[in-house]
Amino acid sequence: MKLKNPYEVLGIREGASEDEIKAAYRELVKKYHPDQYQNNPLAKLAEEKLREINEAYDYLMKNASARNNAQAGGSRSYDGRGWNRNDGNDFFSQVKSHINSGNIKLAEDMLDSAGRRPAEWYYLKGLIFMRKGWYDEAYNHLQRAVNMDPSNYEYRSALDRMTVSYNTYRGNSYRRGFTKNENDLCTFCQWLWCADCLCECAGGDLIKCC
Amino acid sequence: MFGYIVPEKPEMKIKEYELFRAYYCGVCCSIGKRHGQLKRLTLNYDSAFLAVLLSAIAEEQIDVRIKRCAVHPFQKRHIISGSPIVDYASDINIILAYYNLEDKQRDEASFVSSAGLVMLRKDFRRLREQYRDKCEVIERQLDELMRLEKEKCPSMDMAAEPFARLMEEITAYKPVCTDSGREEILRWIGYNLGKWIYLMDAFDDIEKDIKNQNYNPLICQFRYENQDVSEFRQQIRSKVEFTLIYSLNEISKAFELLDIKANKGILENIIYMGMLRKTENTLGIRRCSEVEKSV
Repeated sequence: MKLKNPYEVLGIREGASEDEIKAAYRELVKKYHPDQYQNNPLAKLAEEKLREINEAYDYLMKNASARNNAQAGGSRSYDGRGWNRNDGNDFFSQVKSHINSGNIKLAEDMLDSAGRRPAEWYYLKGLIFMRKGWYDEAYNHLQRAVNMDPSNYEYRSALDRMTVSYNTYRGNSYRRGFTKNENDLCTFCQWLWCADCLCECAGGDLIKCC
Repeated sequence: MFGYIVPEKPEMKIKEYELFRAYYCGVCCSIGKRHGQLKRLTLNYDSAFLAVLLSAIAEEQIDVRIKRCAVHPFQKRHIISGSPIVDYASDINIILAYYNLEDKQRDEASFVSSAGLVMLRKDFRRLREQYRDKCEVIERQLDELMRLEKEKCPSMDMAAEPFARLMEEITAYKPVCTDSGREEILRWIGYNLGKWIYLMDAFDDIEKDIKNQNYNPLICQFRYENQDVSEFRQQIRSKVEFTLIYSLNEISKAFELLDIKANKGILENIIYMGMLRKTENTLGIRRCSEVEKSV
């Protein structure tokens, strides 16, 4: 694989200051954080991207500190691991490990053949649906798992994550300047009409014809 | 395709808008040049999006020309020409238009659809030879869709699957998939695009399908029982909205993993704003009429 320009990877201009590098890095880690891509078929690619970002960051920080001949710290990058390790032996943890390794078909066949359907069954089925892109079914199954076992943190957090993803997208849109439908011409006319009325009350007139 | 994938024009830079239109006109001209002028009638925005997306990751130098065309004889326009990707988008446009007409013809034969089929048949046969693999997948998925419709499938996820797979196949355009990661990303974008389009169309058609007693996954899943149609739409809105927005989120996440070389602003505009606007308008969220009522 060819080495990429670390500045390009972080999306900053060459020769950016240390603060700029840090800020860009933090933004990107947030964007490609494993939490954002949990139960997503592209999780591995996101991990790769994060690794690339980490390498670029480490490289730049190392160079920066070499340049400044001082200043340690700050080059600790996030490794994005430390979640879902499971090595039990029973049926459901086998299913789970198939899901984690991306063997969705096998995991689904195993689940469908299971006679017993406890909360965990619905939880795992929900995760499979999420991978497949069946979001409505995924939500319903996770909801059902939570209802059956309300004290289980794992089920609840999977359900919460779905809601968070849903909100993330809207957040990103609004940040880019998306405005709600209220701010259209229709509302503009209402404001104009309102302003006209107020002016008339005060004895003046904004729009002569009405 | 249905033309749901549109940019949010007020938020676009003028140069981005011009470039988007150059792609749109490019696809249109490519249809005209390679398949015949009349077939330009089948053009829609989704094909332009496909061209913009694939072109964004391809290492190709685009060639923008300023010229007149038959549709706009008095105004010169920017048009992208000689791009294999634009040609691909135009071929796909014809193929899908043909399948769409075939489907319409099956439901209810009309003069327009049979005339369209006759018009497109020759081009379609040629394209089917050229894109044999893709067409086989498309046909398999359409058969599956027909089977689900006949069975009156009561799950929107299951009903959307064939169309999502169809779009997945189209979006994975081999020449730009230089590595397996990229193909995987494009496939996931395509899958979610297809799902979104299918469900948007289903929500749009609720009223029509109730009246004509046609199959509609939403009517089946949420068990419509003779209540007021707008009330029914209101009831199911948040459920449908969840899946639609979730699909958009998956598209955006996959998009962020792509190594974009051009057209970034246009794509961000469409993915983060244009499609959200379309979703909200279709679902009837915060519509003008509702605002008016509250005054």
